[in-house]
Amino acid sequence: MNLLEYQGKKLFKESGIDVPNGEVVRSEEEAQKVFKKFPAGSAVKAQVHAGGRGKIGGVRLSRNEQELTVAVKTILGMEIKGQVVKEILLEEIIKIEKEFYMSFLVNSRNGNISFIFSTDGGMDIEEIAVKKPEKLFQWQISDISSVREYEIRNFLRNTGLYGNLLVETASVAYKLCCCFQKNDLILAEINPLVVTDNGNLMAADAKIEVDDNALYRHSEIQSLQQEAEDVFERQAKAIGISYVQMTGDVGIIASGAGLAMNSMDVLQSRGKKAANFLETGGGITADLIADSVELLLSNPSVNGILVNLYGGVNPMVEAAKGVIRGISNNMKNVAVVVKLLGNQQEAAWSILEEAGITIVKTVSTEKAVDLLLEKMEGRKAE
Amino acid sequence: MSIYLNKSTRAIIQGGTGKIGRVQAKWMRECGTNLVAGVTPGKGKTDIDGLPVYDCVFEAVEKHEANAAVLFTPAHFTKEAVLESIDAGIKLVVAIPEHVPIHDTMEMRRAAKAKGAVLLGPNCPGIITPEVGKLGIMPANLFKAGRIGLISRSGTLSYEAAGHVIMEGMGISTLIGIGGDPVIGTDIETILEEFEKDLETDAVVLVGEIGGSAEEQAAHFISRMKKPVVVYIAGKSAPEGRTLGHAGAIIRKGTGAVNSKIQVLSKAGARIAPAISDIPSILKTLSIICQ
Repeated sequence: MNLLEYQGKKLFKESGIDVPNGEVVRSEEEAQKVFKKFPAGSAVKAQVHAGGRGKIGGVRLSRNEQELTVAVKTILGMEIKGQVVKEILLEEIIKIEKEFYMSFLVNSRNGNISFIFSTDGGMDIEEIAVKKPEKLFQWQISDISSVREYEIRNFLRNTGLYGNLLVETASVAYKLCCCFQKNDLILAEINPLVVTDNGNLMAADAKIEVDDNALYRHSEIQSLQQEAEDVFERQAKAIGISYVQMTGDVGIIASGAGLAMNSMDVLQSRGKKAANFLETGGGITADLIADSVELLLSNPSVNGILVNLYGGVNPMVEAAKGVIRGISNNMKNVAVVVKLLGNQQEAAWSILEEAGITIVKTVSTEKAVDLLLEKMEGRKAE
Repeated sequence: MSIYLNKSTRAIIQGGTGKIGRVQAKWMRECGTNLVAGVTPGKGKTDIDGLPVYDCVFEAVEKHEANAAVLFTPAHFTKEAVLESIDAGIKLVVAIPEHVPIHDTMEMRRAAKAKGAVLLGPNCPGIITPEVGKLGIMPANLFKAGRIGLISRSGTLSYEAAGHVIMEGMGISTLIGIGGDPVIGTDIETILEEFEKDLETDAVVLVGEIGGSAEEQAAHFISRMKKPVVVYIAGKSAPEGRTLGHAGAIIRKGTGAVNSKIQVLSKAGARIAPAISDIPSILKTLSIICQ
């Protein structure tokens, strides 16, 4: 789960990291009211889950009320990488002396935490890596719970920092490290970490990704979770399946992520596209499958459905019953092929056969896809 | 011989007293797995279809010389259960549960490394050595014994790959699902190393998927292997920036895509299967006897 900038800054504040004074507004009236708290003017920042908002006008400066009105009118409702701006962060303007880059992230390559720092902040980390690789410092931490502040200080010495600024920077890094650990973060990035004209360090931006699987132990963060925008994805969440909306006309239901991905790949190799990615995980019940089939049938683009299941931990007889219940409302006469193997496969096959559903009894997803496409062609011809 | 799971394996099941655990314990025993005990704190002195259950892993190890563990614990309790097993001296720990927090996994991984234990998972189907047994959830009826080793990030896709291999008259020495999470207990190259040493494995099939760089990392070891490695990577059709089911399966800014993985692996000498159904025919062209 990604946090918006102001949500991330709240976590920083709780961890003792300074952030500029600011408030979130959702309308012009609110903006005017809050603006009175910033007599020297304010930064007006769009709150979206996307990088690069500054480059397309998602961040503006307002010195007076007229400028504020223009800025808020432009940004509110603006679309940034497919997301509509509904919230704006108004912040005091800070005087910047220097910009640093600082982050902690999970390194899936070795199961470590990477601490990354650069005295050249403000641009994308990818950009720093390309333009100034010598300015990028990385430390692999295998056990984050054992990190001491003096170790970070000693590491940051390599960057050329010294004296008070070194100590202050290490202090922010240590606080960020604790924040990372305490909140089960996957990524905590401050870019830029600014040194103000009076020598204070402040997080001018916040990019935070929280581990979805750990949200159960962070109820305050969980409550920030936003509803998925897509109507199908919202329904899928309620059913308890993993779903991603796509643009093709073949619906997919698979009992594992790899199998679903492979089904999409096979479709692509036949010049077709999937209407969705759908993975049930290990919790198949008749209801879950019936709801999944109904969900796909309710998508007007779907002309065929491939059900691709393995019964390892999943009960195949229940799955078969679910398919039959799900397609009982198949008004559009959508083509359906079920490939199902594993525990209780014979019993499941006979249930499906009795109901007149086309089944594939081998491990070949290719065969199932070809059969489905044939049937879809046939329906079109009718 | 096979790898990790063999005739000298004496396994416990943790979390085997729940609804799913009980069924899985039964299925594991039906296909020959040597399960010696169950461990669920609070359920000591009960049983799972005749299998004695203890409150502590240490007790199961003392009484049954257990040397392996398979877990069906709730995600939130998985870390404690894994750490207990590793601390009790168990050398093969198979963590089936999905939705384990990543910070928990990092701690489990560290503990396993420190004690020289092999941790498979989390979020994995487990391990099967056909005709010997399985610690996991794979449908045993689909597998036949043979001389092909198989490593997969995805459970369901490992069944499909094994199915194609078996359909063409070959068989599996050991199949391992390493797990679909961004951080997992054991890296691909560690398992490749075991297969390279295993006298009952002639060739290895690696079923990868988009996201992360586990496959690329394994490339270095593959280039030094004597045994051939056939690779299939799923997710050609995946859109960038969306997580597909497995938390690890996400293409981030051009990294983790199928093509970049294939390039690195093929340079390292791996044979690339364009489709999963191409795996057996590639295996057959290799100058080894696969039976």
